[in-house]
Amino acid sequence: MPFNWLYLRKFILITLGLVLMVFAGVSFYESRHLKEPVVLSQGVTQVKKLSDYFRGIRGTINDSNIYILEGVKPGGTILILGGTHPEEPGSRLTTWILAENAEVDQGRVFVINSANRSATTVTRLGGGYPPDFTIPTPWGGQKFRMGDRWSNPLDQWPDPEAYIHYPSRQELAYVDIRNLNRTWPGRANGTLTEKTCYALIQLIRKEKVDIVIDLHEAELQYPVISTIVAHEKGQDLAALASMMISGTEGFSIGMEYSPPALHGLSHREIGDHTQAISLLLEAPEPFLDATRGRTDRELLLEGKDEFVVKAGKHGLLFEKMDENGWPVEVRVGRHCSTILQILELWSEENPGKSVMVKGVPRYAEVIEKGIGNFLHDPAKADSKRIYYE
Amino acid sequence: MSIYTSTQIILAVMVVTYIVAKVLKVSTEISMFAAALTGGLAGGVGIPARHIVEGAFTYLDIILIFITATLFMNILKESGGVVFVVRGILRKFFRRKSILFVLLTFLLLLPGALTGAGSVTVLITGGMVAIVLGYMGISKPKTAAIIFILAGLSAAAPPVSLWAMLTAAGVNMPYVGFFLPLLLPCLFLSLITIFILGWRGKPVNLEKALKELPEAPQKMSWIRISLPFLAFLFLVLAGRIWPHSLPVVGLPMMFMAAAFISLLLSPVKINFLKISRNTVHQLLPLIGTLTCVGILVQIMTLTGVRGLIAITIVTLPLIAVFITLCLVLPVSEAVLMWGAAPVLGVPLVLLFNTIGLNPIIALAGMSVIWPLGDVLPPTAIIGRLTVDTVGMKEPYSKLLKYCIIPAAIIMAVGTLMVVFSKKLAFFTLL
Repeated sequence: MPFNWLYLRKFILITLGLVLMVFAGVSFYESRHLKEPVVLSQGVTQVKKLSDYFRGIRGTINDSNIYILEGVKPGGTILILGGTHPEEPGSRLTTWILAENAEVDQGRVFVINSANRSATTVTRLGGGYPPDFTIPTPWGGQKFRMGDRWSNPLDQWPDPEAYIHYPSRQELAYVDIRNLNRTWPGRANGTLTEKTCYALIQLIRKEKVDIVIDLHEAELQYPVISTIVAHEKGQDLAALASMMISGTEGFSIGMEYSPPALHGLSHREIGDHTQAISLLLEAPEPFLDATRGRTDRELLLEGKDEFVVKAGKHGLLFEKMDENGWPVEVRVGRHCSTILQILELWSEENPGKSVMVKGVPRYAEVIEKGIGNFLHDPAKADSKRIYYE
Repeated sequence: MSIYTSTQIILAVMVVTYIVAKVLKVSTEISMFAAALTGGLAGGVGIPARHIVEGAFTYLDIILIFITATLFMNILKESGGVVFVVRGILRKFFRRKSILFVLLTFLLLLPGALTGAGSVTVLITGGMVAIVLGYMGISKPKTAAIIFILAGLSAAAPPVSLWAMLTAAGVNMPYVGFFLPLLLPCLFLSLITIFILGWRGKPVNLEKALKELPEAPQKMSWIRISLPFLAFLFLVLAGRIWPHSLPVVGLPMMFMAAAFISLLLSPVKINFLKISRNTVHQLLPLIGTLTCVGILVQIMTLTGVRGLIAITIVTLPLIAVFITLCLVLPVSEAVLMWGAAPVLGVPLVLLFNTIGLNPIIALAGMSVIWPLGDVLPPTAIIGRLTVDTVGMKEPYSKLLKYCIIPAAIIMAVGTLMVVFSKKLAFFTLL
């Protein structure tokens, strides 16, 4: 019988395909199941689950941890959301610093490190993202999942032909039905992402949260950058914080009004549908720019890119960009200081609802010492004080 | 070595690999895959299995829409629905050339508009329309030019326009507001094309035409043809009218529902498994292209090549961008096919947005120019497919010759849409 070259070719190609799938599959599995430890600060008095506020989220990947820090004295309540868009790591790292270091003298602070945990388990198709990144620490380093902007299609699929936002009925991009910052205030019988927002809204209502701060980062070609986006209820607070920060912290941050006609975003819907003031913080992240060069961990953490610098020289950016870039310490430091400034101003204006926090580094300290200095070694911690994201 | 030089070297390695592969007669999709592999090696990332597989899944949803929509169209054709419509149109309008042209235009636009693929138009209705145009005394090269241009415009037409969808996705822009900015130029340019190239056509000899066209099945009727379309329309509208009371179905499932209804209503027995297999076989080159485009784009992004191309384009003098747009887009399509949208479309839309143009109208203008590249080597997939379908024996250059005038009009309209996009922005709100 003559030798059949076609079969041999098919066999070789299938084998090569299988090898690729195995290697890629292992990498995907490891990213999805990477355990990110949180060594609880002494200030954390309780850890709840999101499903404690809405049973519909129980057993899903988005049943996230809620770290609750309570002061001895009663006061106001603040909720800080990290990981709405996990591809913006400055957001999650800030919540890590809070959960591992903050202590509260008065009032309560709720911290969520992975608001959309599903989105932390996937990377952008076509984006060339690294699967994870490591923050150097005095005890070695801590690895984090990279994540994406949208929930993992493994958890929520297919997308609709058109995404009609609830309850405004505004038509949004179909893919944004998996975007946690387009699905507020959520639906009890909606998709996973909508249910997550619904659960968060129940938390905000039940715990009588006064201020919600949603942490983000943005590409420099995006006009909403280095700013606090504020709902009408928080405009004075945000404007004052912007002024104070620009005068005292060593960096500038603007303030923008939440557009009333743009629906699904946290700064709009939380303010509209709950008693809380909603604020959204944006820091610059060159890694997200379409003109970026090599897409790697270095760019993610150091924020240096010559192509983006060139775009800036041609007036195509909405934030300055030079050879110093936007290191992650700068971005996280901005978030830390902005949160602290907002709390200080809130507490001054509302003595009965003060939220007094200590142990959280400010902008200059984060830059000087690095983020890793504020992450604690899980190997040396009491196992009962370690939670995993 | 500066980052510019090292990235330019990676780009050069990818380009050389692609050219060598094409010279060795390797298919376009495998050539793109080879370029991605050597790009990864030159970029120092080796053969990144994770990125290759992740990139391959970039356009999975679009591929599923492709397969299910084409399956629907193939069932309709197999059931005799398409020939029934052509015969019906001929009987009614054989003496009225203008109305016939308008109806043939709709017949050619529909499959591509629904599926986003010009090849589907060529395969589903192209052959039938070619027969009708032949009865009108229009030469094969002119017929091929009409079908090619309209197939390209059908792919750019809404609701599914892959160039617009891929670019919009790349800049985080909702694929919303594109319906009229895509529909109006596609419709206008299609009619212009068929009237210019078919103007010397004579009225149809009905008796001869009906004799030569395949017979439609006896029991075929307008109801059997329209019900699957109505079902599809109902599912689309239901998802928009009661979005919070119905489960999310997705476009592929909607097309599958229409396909099943078409199957159930077919007056002739259809072997579903066979037609499904044939559909996938028919679409394999396109699926392969989309898969490899995803891999290529992922590696280009990973190694910085995509950024290099983006920054080079967005920092060109604006006048140079406008002038060269009508040539750069078709050439990029000829080389990369849909890959041109994420690679070139994304930086261009960002540039237009930054300088205050309307990104939706500008992207719609670019989307009508892009398909012209499908007639150009090295890929020329739709051009070659059209020649085969029409049965054109003349040299390929004849087809290119008859494409020149409509192509020039399309380029002019597309470029003007980009330049005056700000003034045309009201179309996005209608």
